[in-house]
Amino acid sequence: MMGIHNNVFCMKILRRISQRLYAGVVRMYAQTYAKPYARTDARESADHAAAKICTSHHVNWLGTLRVLAGSSTGRNLVMRLVLTLPTLLLLLVVPASCGRYDDFDDGEDLAEFDDNDFAEFEDMSEDRALEEEEEEEDSTPSPRPTASVGDEEDDEAVVELEDSHDDFEDAETPDEDIKYDTEEFEGFEKSNPSSKDPINILTVPAHLQNSWESYYMEILMVTGLLAYIMNYIIGKNKNHRLAQAWFNSHRELLESNFALVGDDGTSMEAVSTGKLNQENEHIYNLWCSGRVCCEGMLIQLKFLKRQDLLNVLARMMRPACDQVQIKVTLNDEDMDTFVFAVGNRKAMARLQKEMQDLSEFCSDKPKSGAKYGLPEFLAILSEMGEVSDGMMDSKMVHYLINHADKIESIHYSDQFSGPKLMQEEGQPLKLPETKKTLLFTFNVPGMGNTSPKDMDTLLPLMNMVIYSIDKVKKFRLNREVSREPLLANLTGCQFVSLTDWLVVSGHFSIAPGTVLLVQKILYFPISIDSRSSTNIKSTKSVLFWYFNTLGWDLQTCLLSIWSCR
Amino acid sequence: MSSNSMSDPRRQNKILRYKPPSSDSNPAMEDPTPDYMNLLGMIFSMCGLMLKLKWCAWIAVYCSFISFANSRSSEDTKQMMSSFMLSISAVVMSYLQNPQPMSPPW
Repeated sequence: MMGIHNNVFCMKILRRISQRLYAGVVRMYAQTYAKPYARTDARESADHAAAKICTSHHVNWLGTLRVLAGSSTGRNLVMRLVLTLPTLLLLLVVPASCGRYDDFDDGEDLAEFDDNDFAEFEDMSEDRALEEEEEEEDSTPSPRPTASVGDEEDDEAVVELEDSHDDFEDAETPDEDIKYDTEEFEGFEKSNPSSKDPINILTVPAHLQNSWESYYMEILMVTGLLAYIMNYIIGKNKNHRLAQAWFNSHRELLESNFALVGDDGTSMEAVSTGKLNQENEHIYNLWCSGRVCCEGMLIQLKFLKRQDLLNVLARMMRPACDQVQIKVTLNDEDMDTFVFAVGNRKAMARLQKEMQDLSEFCSDKPKSGAKYGLPEFLAILSEMGEVSDGMMDSKMVHYLINHADKIESIHYSDQFSGPKLMQEEGQPLKLPETKKTLLFTFNVPGMGNTSPKDMDTLLPLMNMVIYSIDKVKKFRLNREVSREPLLANLTGCQFVSLTDWLVVSGHFSIAPGTVLLVQKILYFPISIDSRSSTNIKSTKSVLFWYFNTLGWDLQTCLLSIWSCR
Repeated sequence: MSSNSMSDPRRQNKILRYKPPSSDSNPAMEDPTPDYMNLLGMIFSMCGLMLKLKWCAWIAVYCSFISFANSRSSEDTKQMMSSFMLSISAVVMSYLQNPQPMSPPW
């Protein structure tokens, strides 16, 4: 208790001394900086200025009063001298006295000697004892600056004031968890504890982020789809425009040649629709009928698949062109029996392998048409030389030379049955239906980049078609070279194999055997008809089979005769 | 030689009606693309739904679009619509189950 009272007394003395010291310093400060006052009452004005400075620095108001009271500098100097020695002593005492305040736990004792600000904390609970202690700690440094002001420089004083100011702020906002001085750790509060724990940065799931950028794949996909749709619309419209342009340029010619132009087969009466049938986005049909020399004509405009983006991209690798396919079906009396084709070399080679009739009746290799004056890249597949001579008249050659780039293939056939069908083993040979047909395949110029104007260039080719129809009607082969119409449908091989079967399953009786033998002998000149010498293959095969089975038949016949004898 | 330009080559009595070529006549000539794409689209959309793969569902959408673009007019629209709906439902279901964006395979 005595110690405490001693300390209280010391505090009071400390206060007074510090105030006086401070006042002296301030006056010195004022005198130094208040020089503009040149009058004899400069001291008074200096004191007044000092007082002002004192108030601006938020100095204790008691000190200010002292400044105002003490007007003579001499008195202040003496006071200063008197106060310096105790001040030094006090400087030594203050840290010791401050240390003792840390031991205080009792809030009541603190409240007795302190200012009335903290009197309200007299009846505090134990929870707030810590706060009081902190507040006391905060408040105790406040007399410290006033005591040490006399010795220390202005900077130090300012710093101290700032410290006290901050401490007061902290006192007003008590923070229970502060174990360190907040002013020292400004900004480091959060990082300090976290440096000890392992940092676990969690990634926010992409769909919860507020950015569209993470969905870039989806955006790409949707953009691709939109591009596809755009291309579909553009391609479809282009194809439609091309078809319309073709039809507009050919309409007049067709209507002058055919009674029925445009038919979809659904209407009750045979009335010209006068427009194309759209089978697809890239295929347009037109059926024309009602003319001499032919049954009808089917025109197919087979455009490129401009509506399909994949196809467009594939065409960039491999260029292709639009095609116009014309198929003229003829009546039986309109055409003689022959097979003939002329066109592009590549197309001819392909057709020769693919088409049933061409592979059967024509030679393997397409022949050059130089004999007739055709360009080198055009080739001829023909059944007989006479057919070629007959077909390649001057007007035809003229057409071919002028429009050679647009002609893919021209195929006349009386045995047309389409491409070769794959025949399975063991099944009976199915004879395909044949029809007298003229086939024309034209390439549209432009190689894909066609404009509607290019369709006009195909008009002469249509004239060629009409001309060909009439020509074929009039063309007649020599009687001796033509095929017999009776057995025209059956090939030599097919007939022979049929008889083979009969012979093998025969009953070795005379009648069938002799009949068959006689048929065979009669068939010989028919099967080996006077085809051109280029038709060696079929002749050979027929001969082979013929003699093979002839031997059998002969044997059978002889056996039957001898058995019945 | 050719028909007399004076006489009209047209013959009203010789008109033959258009008969669409039957598909049996040349099965090889027909374009198989729309059928293949339809099948692929269905397979991909099933994969996308079952295995919860987003890229499968997107490819299914593309396949159904390609099939539609290449289809013949004679084909009924029901099949086209069903493949569309299936692929779109595959995409929607994949995203409902897992709203995260699609990660590229590389």
